[in-house]
Amino acid sequence: MIKKINILILLMFVVNVCYSQKERKVTFVGGARSVMTNNRLVVNDTIAEDTSTAKRNTGGYALIDLGVNIKPNKNTEILGMFRIKNNFGGFWGSGVTFDVRQLYMKGVVANALRYQLGDLNLKQTAFTLYNHHADAIDSLPTVFNLQRNIVNYEKFYQKNTWRMQGANVDFGISFKNIIKEINFTGFTTRINATNFSSVPERLMSGAVIQIVQSNKLSASYNINSVYDVKGTVLDSNSFTNKVQSIDASYTTKIKENNLTIAAEIGNSHYAYSIDTLAPHLKDYFIHASASYKIAKYHTKATIGYLEVGPEFRSIGAQSKDINYNALPVYYDRYTNAQNIRPIALIDVISNDNIYNRTVSSKLLSENAWYNNAMPYGLATFNRVGAYGSIHYKKDIDAVVSYYNLSEIKGQGTFALQNFSILKCNAKIPLQAYLKTAKKLEVQLGTQMQNTNRTSTVEIENVNFKNTQYTAGINWEVFSNFELMVGLVSQNAIGTHFIADRNVYTEVTYFHQNKLDIQQQMKAVGLMYHFSPKIYLSTIYQQSKFVDGNKQFADFNINQFNIIYNMLF
Amino acid sequence: MKKNLSILLCAILFFSISCRKNKTQFDGPSINEIYSDFKIIDSFKINKDSVNFTNAETAVFSAKFNKIVDWTISIYGATSKATKIISGSSKQIDISNATWNGSSTVFPIFNTENCKAILRVKDLTDSFMVSTKIVGTKKLDGFMIADFETGIKTGWTKFAQTGANMDFQVKSDSIAPEGKKYLSMAGTVNWDWLIGLIDFPAKAYGTSPVFPLGTNPNSEYFNCLIYGVPSTNPSLVLFQFREDENENGTFDANTEDEYDYQVTVDWVGWKLISVKYADLGYLVNGVPATPKGNGLRNPNKLTKISMLHLANPNDGFASSKLDLMIFTQNGPLQP
Repeated sequence: MIKKINILILLMFVVNVCYSQKERKVTFVGGARSVMTNNRLVVNDTIAEDTSTAKRNTGGYALIDLGVNIKPNKNTEILGMFRIKNNFGGFWGSGVTFDVRQLYMKGVVANALRYQLGDLNLKQTAFTLYNHHADAIDSLPTVFNLQRNIVNYEKFYQKNTWRMQGANVDFGISFKNIIKEINFTGFTTRINATNFSSVPERLMSGAVIQIVQSNKLSASYNINSVYDVKGTVLDSNSFTNKVQSIDASYTTKIKENNLTIAAEIGNSHYAYSIDTLAPHLKDYFIHASASYKIAKYHTKATIGYLEVGPEFRSIGAQSKDINYNALPVYYDRYTNAQNIRPIALIDVISNDNIYNRTVSSKLLSENAWYNNAMPYGLATFNRVGAYGSIHYKKDIDAVVSYYNLSEIKGQGTFALQNFSILKCNAKIPLQAYLKTAKKLEVQLGTQMQNTNRTSTVEIENVNFKNTQYTAGINWEVFSNFELMVGLVSQNAIGTHFIADRNVYTEVTYFHQNKLDIQQQMKAVGLMYHFSPKIYLSTIYQQSKFVDGNKQFADFNINQFNIIYNMLF
Repeated sequence: MKKNLSILLCAILFFSISCRKNKTQFDGPSINEIYSDFKIIDSFKINKDSVNFTNAETAVFSAKFNKIVDWTISIYGATSKATKIISGSSKQIDISNATWNGSSTVFPIFNTENCKAILRVKDLTDSFMVSTKIVGTKKLDGFMIADFETGIKTGWTKFAQTGANMDFQVKSDSIAPEGKKYLSMAGTVNWDWLIGLIDFPAKAYGTSPVFPLGTNPNSEYFNCLIYGVPSTNPSLVLFQFREDENENGTFDANTEDEYDYQVTVDWVGWKLISVKYADLGYLVNGVPATPKGNGLRNPNKLTKISMLHLANPNDGFASSKLDLMIFTQNGPLQP
C-alpha cells in the first residue's frame, strides 16, 4: 500500500510539473463521494422470530476518483483514473483500497481515423450490442434516482452502452453526389481471458458501416461476433455467436410535422465447433417502426412491429445488467435458517453489487418479479407482436406505451403465452402552473404486465400479473435546497413457469412458480446543491417485502443515508 | 402524406402476415408430462435370460414411462458381489441408453453367475427387478502386463525394502477384483520413500525389446486397478514408462525419454486408473520436468514399465493392492 501511495505522489509531482507549463496539456477530472448508511432489518418469519441475524448495520465509505487527462499533442489524449476508497472504520491500510478505475488512450491519425485503446463504452443496435436495462423502473422518483445514478457511475452505464476493454476505430468519407457520407466503426474487445487450461480466450468484434444518403435517409450494416481464439486452450472446441443486421431510417417532413420510418432485420448464429451435444441455433429478427411527430401538439406517436425468433441469440444484446444470482450487499442472509435474502426492490434501485459492468457469455436468468414480458428488452427471443406509444412533451412530459406480444414457439406445450405491457409515465412541473420560480415537480408512473396462457391441459395455464406504481415530488424549498419524496410499489401475483436452461441455453425443465410478492419503497430526502455537479443529500427510506405464499420470509429494511457527491 | 401512410400500412400488413408461429414443436420437456403422476407404460425387461459376454453379446434393458424421469439400473452379481450401475434421464429405457456389455462399475468384475437388475426411479419408492445369468464373462481386450494369476512372472524384477510389516506378495483371497489373485503391497520404511517395486521389461513377454503397442500415443491407454486400504497412510503408486528411442535394445536415462504417472491412493476399495499415453508426463521427485530424449511420446518404443510403491517415510505404515495392469486401444478399459 505504501509503495502504491509513493507511486501516486510521484505521478502527481510529474503531473504538477506538466500542469504548470504554459499550455494546458494536463487536466484533472474525476469525482468524489462519501456515503454513510444506517440500516435496520425487521424480519417477519412465520416459523420463529429471527434471532440469528444482526439487525442493525452501519457502514459507508469515502472515495475519490482522480483522473489525469493528458494531451501530449492536439491529436492524442490519455486518461488514467485512480480510485482511493476507504470504508468507514478503515485507516492506513485496513479497509483502504487503491485501484485503477479507467485507462484509455485515444486520438486521431492523419486527421481522418479516430482510435481509442483501453476502456471503451460500446453500443450498436438493439439486437447486436445494447444494454437494455430491461428491468429498470422507467419513472424513478428523484429521491431514488440519486442512488440509481451512483450505480450508473460505478458501472459506467452511459445510456445503453456496455463497458469493455479493447480497441475501437472509426472514420468517415464524405461525398459530393448521391451519397452524403459513409461512416465506418470497428472494434475488438476481450470478453474473458484464458486460464491456459479450460477457459479459452473469448473476444467480441463488431463493425458498423453506415451510409448516409441525406439527412432524410440512412442505412447501416451491423455485425457483432463473439468467438473463442483457437489455440488458447488445448480443447479445440470453440464457441461463436454471430449477429448481423441491416437497418434503415427514412425521415420526411409533412408540413411542419415529421414522419420517421425505421426498420432493422437480421439474424444470429450460435454454435460450438465440435461439441456434438451443442445445438446450432440460427434465427432471425425483424423490427420496424413508424413515428409521426406533430409539432403543433408537441406529440410524437409511434407504432412498431417486433418479431424475434425463438432461437435468436445475441450475447451483445441479451446480456442483462442485473445478476439475480448475486448476493445483496446488506443482509445477504436472514431468518434463523440464514436463508439467502431475495433480491428486493431496494437492491434493484441502489445496490451496485448486483449489477454487471459488461456483457456476459452466459444467458443470465430473468426475474419475473420485475419483468416477465420482455426480460431482455427488445432483443427478448421468442416474441412477436406490435407496440405503440404516444409521447407528449411541452411543460408536461408524458408517455403512454402499449405492447401486445406473444410467443412464436411454445415452452413445454404447444399453447403460446401472450404478453401485454402498458406503461404510463408523466413528469409534471407544477411550478409552471403555480407561477413560481422554485421547482415543484411531480412524477407519476405505472407499468402493468400481463402474461397469459390458456391450454386444454389445466396445469399448463399461465396467469401472471406484474404491476408497478411510482410517485415522486421534488420541491425546491429554498434556492438550491430540495425536498424529495418518493414511492415505488411493485407487485407480482399469479402462476407462471421458470425454465431451467443448460449451458447451451436450451430448456431442460420447467418449474411451476406461484407468486404473491408485494414490495414497496418509501423515501423522503433533502438535497442541497453546492453547484450543478456537487450536492449533499440525506435520505430516509423504508423498504417492505411481503410474500403472500411464504416462500420467503417477509422483511423490512429501513435505511438512513447521507450522500455527498461531486464531479470535477 | 397519403402515399407515406399507404407505404406504412402495407409494411405493417406485410409483417403481420409474415409473422410465424411454430405449431409443430415446443421448447423443453412437456409441462403436462412433468407435472403428471408417474406411470410405467411398458414394464421393465431384459432381452436375454442368459448372456455370454465372452462372445461379445450384450444385454439390453427396456422400459417406457409416461414422462421423463431420472432412473438407475443396478445390476448385482449373486456370487461375485460385482455391481454395474447404468443411469439416465429419459422417458424410455432401450438399446440407446441401457445396454450392458458385462462390465463392472463397482469391483470385483462379474463372474459366471446369476445376476439381478433393479430399476429405481427418482422420487418413487417402488423398484422393479429382472434376472439374468452370465454364462461367459467379458473378455478383456488389450495387452495384459500383469494380472498376477500366475504370481511374479519370470523376467519381472521385484525389489522390496526390509522395513517393518513388509508385504510385497501375490495373494489369493476374496478381495481379488479379477480372477483369483492380486499383488499386495505394504510396509513401514522410515528412511526412504520407496517401499517396493517391480520392473516389467518388454522382453518378459517375448523376444521383442519393445511392447507391442501402436505408434499413436492418443490411441494407447494404460489401465490398472488399485485398492486403497482403509485407515492407512496414503500410498503413492508411481508408474514409469521408459522408451528405447534409438532402438538399440537398452534405455539410456540421460538421452532417452522416460514418462511417469503418479497416483495418490486416497480412497478405499478398488478403483480403475486409466491414462492416455499422450497424457503422461515426466516427473523428477514428483515434480514435472522436461524429458531427456526427443520429448515425443512413442508407445511403440516402450521398453520397460516400472511400478513403484512409495509413501512418505515420516507417515509410517502404508498399504495398497494392485491388479490388472493392461494396455487398451482407443479408450480406457471397461472391465
